[in-house]
Amino acid sequence: MASPAAAPQGDRTPAAGAVQAADFAELRSLIVGPEQRQLSTLQARLDDPAAQTRDVSRVLPQAMLLRKNDPQLTRALAPTVEEAITASVRRNPRPLADALFPIFGPAIRKAIAASLSGMLESLNRTLEHSLSWRAIQWRITALRTGKSFAEVVLLNTLVYRVEQVFLIERSSGLLLQHVTSGATGAQDADMVSGMLTAIRDFAHDSFRVSDDAALDTLQVGDLSVWIEQGPHAIVAAVIRGTAPQELRVTMQEAVEHVHARLGETLAAFDGDTAPFDAVRPALETCLQTRYRSERKKASPVLWMAVATVVLAVAVWAFFSLSARARWNRYLQALRAEPGIVVVSEDRNGGKFAVTGLRDPLAPDPASMLAAAGISADDVTAHWQLYQALEPRLIAARARQLLRAPDAVTLEFADGVLTAGGTAPVSWIVDSRRIANLVPGVVRYDAGPLIDAQVRSLAQQLEASPLLFVRGSTAFETGGEQGLRAQGERLRDLDALAQASGRRYRIEITGHADTDGPPESNDPLSVQRATRVRAAFAALGLRQIDLSAAGLGSRQPLSPNTTEADKRANRRVALRVVPAGAPPGKPAS
Amino acid sequence: MIQKKVCMLGATGVGKTSLVSRFVTSLFSDKYLTTIGVKVDKKTLVVDGTDVTLLLWDIYGQDEFQTVRTSYLKGASGYLLVADGTRQLTLETARELQKTAEGVIGAVPFILVLNKMDLADEWRVDDRALWRLAEDGWSIIRTSAKSGAGVDDAFLKLTQRMVAA
Repeated sequence: MASPAAAPQGDRTPAAGAVQAADFAELRSLIVGPEQRQLSTLQARLDDPAAQTRDVSRVLPQAMLLRKNDPQLTRALAPTVEEAITASVRRNPRPLADALFPIFGPAIRKAIAASLSGMLESLNRTLEHSLSWRAIQWRITALRTGKSFAEVVLLNTLVYRVEQVFLIERSSGLLLQHVTSGATGAQDADMVSGMLTAIRDFAHDSFRVSDDAALDTLQVGDLSVWIEQGPHAIVAAVIRGTAPQELRVTMQEAVEHVHARLGETLAAFDGDTAPFDAVRPALETCLQTRYRSERKKASPVLWMAVATVVLAVAVWAFFSLSARARWNRYLQALRAEPGIVVVSEDRNGGKFAVTGLRDPLAPDPASMLAAAGISADDVTAHWQLYQALEPRLIAARARQLLRAPDAVTLEFADGVLTAGGTAPVSWIVDSRRIANLVPGVVRYDAGPLIDAQVRSLAQQLEASPLLFVRGSTAFETGGEQGLRAQGERLRDLDALAQASGRRYRIEITGHADTDGPPESNDPLSVQRATRVRAAFAALGLRQIDLSAAGLGSRQPLSPNTTEADKRANRRVALRVVPAGAPPGKPAS
Repeated sequence: MIQKKVCMLGATGVGKTSLVSRFVTSLFSDKYLTTIGVKVDKKTLVVDGTDVTLLLWDIYGQDEFQTVRTSYLKGASGYLLVADGTRQLTLETARELQKTAEGVIGAVPFILVLNKMDLADEWRVDDRALWRLAEDGWSIIRTSAKSGAGVDDAFLKLTQRMVAA
């Protein structure tokens, strides 16, 4: 085959040209035939819409995945998607509703719950403050200032509330996201965001601080703006009231969350804020509100506990006061008791304590406890013994020392111990020696006791005549015993006379019955009296004088009509008279 | 939602604030301009079917007494360089500010706005200078904050360029 370049152009004939063309065609077919067929195939595919659709459908998903973050793709698809959704909803809304149901259901419930919760809280707060004295003051304030009652309540009960949270792109100041607490809102969040950024830049430039430093707090009246910044975005919270520093931690966590989730989007931010809808929940965690804690109504359990404590205190007070009253009565009784002196009293460790002086003859203070209703276990007592000089105790002490018989009465007054009643003569005599030794006794007066005893002895002496055998000076049977008995009485009388410093005379008178003549009866009666006087004289009586006389039968004791009467008339009678008394008068 | 930060740059008295006021209803008082040196306003436009919110940072004008706080430029997606058509010197200031802005935020879209076009008799800006700027790739729009002419167009064109960037 010749080269097309070697053949001269002017010598070619039509036949030769046809051959040459066929040769060239064959040559082309040999050299570029495969490429031509491929090009033809490609051309056919390009000209075939169905083939193109198939080709594009194979790469479209992968291509969209590669461009998923391309805003242009989003903008391109948005109208079509919107129209498709609109058309779908118009045609049959049910599929879309079914698809969105799992999302809308919880979202709606959450929104309703949040709204109801807020409404109930507001309602509760309003009700709580609607009838109190504080509420009246707030209503007056509302009227005076022109604010609503709810607003005044809020201002007075609010500790702090985060009213708005801005998520702002750090360099441009463009607002990426904005959440509010519901009742409040900025005039225009976008412009506020811009101005806030301008103010931050102004402050940063004006004070020439380091690049990392930035304005983090603004204060305007009772509003403050807290700012937490990240590498690409800042979070600014508008706060009414005084928030705790823990809020800054929450804000910082929100900043970190935003950067962690949308860091690349922030770094390549071109003005599209749609992706930042995803971080609304993180920003909403900063929307915190705290009210002043109201005083909670006490629970019934607490009331019961308080009531129990009050009751216990009341019971304790009752018993304590009762115990104190009993103790006071006991002390009063002690102080009223002769021979007991209360020096001090106290209460230590739940026990009463008392110290004092006590006469051994005074009542035992321990025995008085029972009468006061006090247990001995509740009392600590220390008593020092002493001798009291109260008259009653002196009399008691005298009775104890003198061992006075029960028939003896002892009284003490003005230093004089006076004895009364009756007592053996020997005791009377002994008491005169001992009584003055009793502490407090200045003088012992036993006169009444002696007088009574003298009278008794006199009666006994006068009522016990000595009887004689008829016509004799001999005593009847048992007469000697009677004589001795009378002698003992005289001894007692003599002792009493000595004790009292008195003297007595015993008139001894003999008598006879009428059986004999008077001439013999008179001497017989004298003899009888003389015998008795002689017997008494032998007793050695010191304060008693003896006289003897006989009256014969002239003064019979009974008419001498019977033998018994005559026997009674044969007697010697005694009569006790004071020494100075005239003869014949009976002793008084 | 797309948001863009737009800075208004220019010499003192060129009408930046008037342009913004013509374009938006301001929320904040102009006193912020003389205190912290900036005031932020907002305007939402629709570009190619997409809502684009412009945050307009009206920065206090540069003059012989003060320079622009460059920190206010950070993060801007574009800016309007405003010059007063009746004062040639403000165009020079705009050129300086453009260099400053480019140094801070890079080659982002911007438009040179020649304001006060309603004062045609007092126009002093040299057309040859504008040609040279146009040859450098600058977009130039004449506006009148007084009549509103060209204002919306300036913001819309800048927004389109920012979205397309």
